[in-house]
Amino acid sequence: MHRALLLGGAWLTLTGAEALVLGVLVTGLSVWLSLRLLPAKHPLALWRLAQHLPRFLAGSVSGGVDVARRAFSSDMRLNPGWLEISSDLPDGARVALGGELSLMPGTLSAGSEDGKLLVHVLDTSAGFDSAIPREVEDIAAIIGQTPKVRP
Amino acid sequence: MADIATYLLTGLGLVFFIAGTVGLIRFPDQFSRLHALTKGDNLGLGFIALGVAFQTDTWAQVAMLVLIWGLALLAAGTVAPLVARAALTESRKP
Amino acid sequence: MTIWLHILAIALLASLGGALWRVWRGPSQADRMMAAQLIGTGGVAVLMVLAALQDWTLLAVAFALATLAALAAVGFVKSESPDGAGDPEEAPPATELRGTVQDRTRNG
Repeated sequence: MHRALLLGGAWLTLTGAEALVLGVLVTGLSVWLSLRLLPAKHPLALWRLAQHLPRFLAGSVSGGVDVARRAFSSDMRLNPGWLEISSDLPDGARVALGGELSLMPGTLSAGSEDGKLLVHVLDTSAGFDSAIPREVEDIAAIIGQTPKVRP
Repeated sequence: MADIATYLLTGLGLVFFIAGTVGLIRFPDQFSRLHALTKGDNLGLGFIALGVAFQTDTWAQVAMLVLIWGLALLAAGTVAPLVARAALTESRKP
Repeated sequence: MTIWLHILAIALLASLGGALWRVWRGPSQADRMMAAQLIGTGGVAVLMVLAALQDWTLLAVAFALATLAALAAVGFVKSESPDGAGDPEEAPPATELRGTVQDRTRNG
């Protein structure tokens, strides 16, 4: 189970290698609790998640650079506006998409309304929205789906 | 060699931190300010963690730095939409 | 190296001073919360630097601070939302949105 790997890894990092028996117990307990609170609905493809990581890191670096350039430039070139994104993603995945978009350049999610994700963009003329369909595809691939984006 | 990497990376991290603060002060509306905060800060924290990682003695410390940064990144991604929504709800109030 | 790390920690703290200004000015509660978040992340960064300077166990403190900063933000959002749930996925009073948020475009 993926959760056991993740939580066990976190335990090892936090405590070092001394408390292994207790670690196995605690990991088992926390996996049970996490499944109890949030039953697994979609098969999470961990390797696809790892595949997505470089693009995510690159995106958050360029997001930071973009926002830093705007913060230091004299006129900031801001032209904020709102978008609504509808997609076939199930609820949980849409939340993940919102969180992810919040770290990508120029976009920031504000939850969803009527199944449409509300996205705030820093500069409506800079074409930040063109990157969104790609993110939707990636999130869908991570939970093993192939949805289409409806503009 | 490791020291040079630390100088460069932590310096870069500091620049992004200052950018986040400058954005938080200068940007005109609260949603734009949230952009600056979420993106600038987490990148800054990432670079500082990376820079500090060159000074560690054991791999466990590196793993700890990675864990903290991962947690901060996840938290920022999750919290940003929540705060944005709260700001939206607040601005809708008469 | 120790000199640079000290300068770094002081500069990070100074940048947190800017965040305090935002806490003071507001204007909205969300602005104050954002500044508090910045202080959270900045505090984690300062602790990382101090860990390199003094004692690596400070990393555990940084970890705790990162967790608490995230939970503080969630607590704020829950206290701000009318029914105390703070769930951005719940059905909102959608009609009022169009009036208050300007230049909202429909595309994607």
